[in-house]
Amino acid sequence: MKLTFENTTIEISASGKSYRATLGEKTVDVEILQAKDGKLDLLIDGQRLTAYVSSENAKRWVTVNGQTFVLTKPAAGARKSGGGHHRAAGELTAPMPGQVRAVNVAEGESVTKGQTLLVVEAMKMEIRIQAPRDGNVKKLLVKQGQTVEREQILIEIESESLAKV
Amino acid sequence: MFKKILIANRGEIAIRIIRACRELGIQTVAVYSDADKNALHVRYADEAIHIGNSAPKESYLNADVLIRAALDSNADAIHPGYGFLSENASFAAAMASAQLTFIGPSADSIRAMGDKAESKIRMKQAGVPTVPGMEGLESEGGFEKAANEIGYPVLVKAAAGGGGKGMRVVNAESELSEGIESARREALNAFGDERLLIEKYVSNAHHVEFQVFGDQHGNLVHLFERECSVQRRHQKIIEETPSPLLTPELRQQMGEAGVAAAQAVGYYNAGTVEFIVDPDTLKFYFLEMNTRLQVEHPVTELVAGLDLVHWQIRIAAGEPFPFLQSHFTQRGHAIECRIYAEDPANGFLPSTGKLLQYIEPHGPGIRVDSGFTIGSEVTHFYDPLLAKLIVQAENRETAIQRMQAALKEFVVHGVITNIDFLQAVISHPDFVNGEVTTRWVETNFNWTPPAEPSFESLVAAALADLTILNRKSEIANQNEHDPYSPWKVASGFRN
Repeated sequence: MKLTFENTTIEISASGKSYRATLGEKTVDVEILQAKDGKLDLLIDGQRLTAYVSSENAKRWVTVNGQTFVLTKPAAGARKSGGGHHRAAGELTAPMPGQVRAVNVAEGESVTKGQTLLVVEAMKMEIRIQAPRDGNVKKLLVKQGQTVEREQILIEIESESLAKV
Repeated sequence: MFKKILIANRGEIAIRIIRACRELGIQTVAVYSDADKNALHVRYADEAIHIGNSAPKESYLNADVLIRAALDSNADAIHPGYGFLSENASFAAAMASAQLTFIGPSADSIRAMGDKAESKIRMKQAGVPTVPGMEGLESEGGFEKAANEIGYPVLVKAAAGGGGKGMRVVNAESELSEGIESARREALNAFGDERLLIEKYVSNAHHVEFQVFGDQHGNLVHLFERECSVQRRHQKIIEETPSPLLTPELRQQMGEAGVAAAQAVGYYNAGTVEFIVDPDTLKFYFLEMNTRLQVEHPVTELVAGLDLVHWQIRIAAGEPFPFLQSHFTQRGHAIECRIYAEDPANGFLPSTGKLLQYIEPHGPGIRVDSGFTIGSEVTHFYDPLLAKLIVQAENRETAIQRMQAALKEFVVHGVITNIDFLQAVISHPDFVNGEVTTRWVETNFNWTPPAEPSFESLVAAALADLTILNRKSEIANQNEHDPYSPWKVASGFRN
């Protein structure tokens, strides 16, 4: 799956009991030795590394090697739009291949920003698909239990102001 | 000895004083404002009394309320810490009237040193070198004449001043009248007193201060110097002792001057005589005296081998200070870094928020005086000092290495801190060579945080999102009012 922080997208895939992380040209094997209380003991290409990570909404505070970074993550499920254009009707896509585990809304229903619309399960994780803004469910394209591909459109939200016009 | 002490302060210094009281078998009373209801110092004391709103004026600076709190809780004494009411002569005097002991010097000493013009006159009489200048001037013509005699650049500053307020650097005669006017305005606003003094502006100087300590029976010694030249906005961020600048001869001269300065105002308890030193000529000048415990007192404690807060309390209770000057030597080297919730990349603007993660370094020769912990709120009401990281080692080189390693282990999430900035300063050749002067951070040190997050930090953040860390917080953030939420349903891998 792809995770974006700031302007950088990192791709993580599971391989056996470890993970493979790719950023641009660089790929490493990562094993999680322990993850507890915001502390991650990692083995990156065989090198031990301790990282501290705290979440605060879309913010991630990360300390590695004595350096602290504050990374901002685009809202979960929000479609990354090319060239800075925001479409009025928000098409929300699956961030990774998986199975739709829950559908919390129906077509025509009004939703509020941040509301969890769907839950997709993949790579032993649950990912909440949230409304990027207030609006209405224009189209619901999946149902519970359905298998979805990465980038597959799951649901379309149209913003309220547009719907009223 | 006192049975109970009220600590009229907050944060790390309140906790440091409570610790000393506990060691001496004295009960403690903490005070707190609305914003500090859940603060660490409140939980640490034996008793805690609410004293008002979050604004300092309505709580920690409210002398009447603090005195009443001390009387109501049957405390015998108040320790003011630093800042707030610690250098307020009327507070010390009001306490005496209420039959309470102020843990500090006499109200007269505070008053004498609080007035920059009066103290300077007294220092000259006592033979303490002062920055060339004039006091008691009123007319613009008088200032002009004095400035020409002293030579530009000059500094005009408020007689009643402190904390960098009512102070202007004037580089040329053309700027003088404007400098006087704005310094006067600021002085009047801040202190209700528009008197100014004028002196030579020493632009390239080290800040070196001497810790003095005396009892109420006439014994007064100095406990050596602290070098505090690493400053931003006239505030110290790194302090150390011994100073890399001083020679043994200069140290002895300055120590004697410090003792003479304190004796000139009949000083007792802990105090600090601040000097500026010209690194080219090694001439030193009296700057001011702080009539209280300093933020940076731990470096002195480690190198002089004395618990200053213990002795402050014992001296206030009337005990004699049993040591003579010859008793003290400087053992090894100590450095303190102030960990501030502020953003060095953004003009050192304070950063507020809740601490999401807080891990202090540990190990031989490492001391942390802290007022915060995980979950603590850092508010905009008070000074953004989170903690002081102090290291001690056998020499300066080892102390720097120890500090570098300790800073790397200090983890604070939730507010932006100056930890990365401090690491860069402590590793800079100018600092390592002991050549930093008071304006170095502003004029010579260009620090910017890395433009891109490190690869490792991105990997860690991504993995954290994938694993338990984030899953936990998502569950915690879930809107649980919905009884049909899928998060109510047990999941095989959520644990």
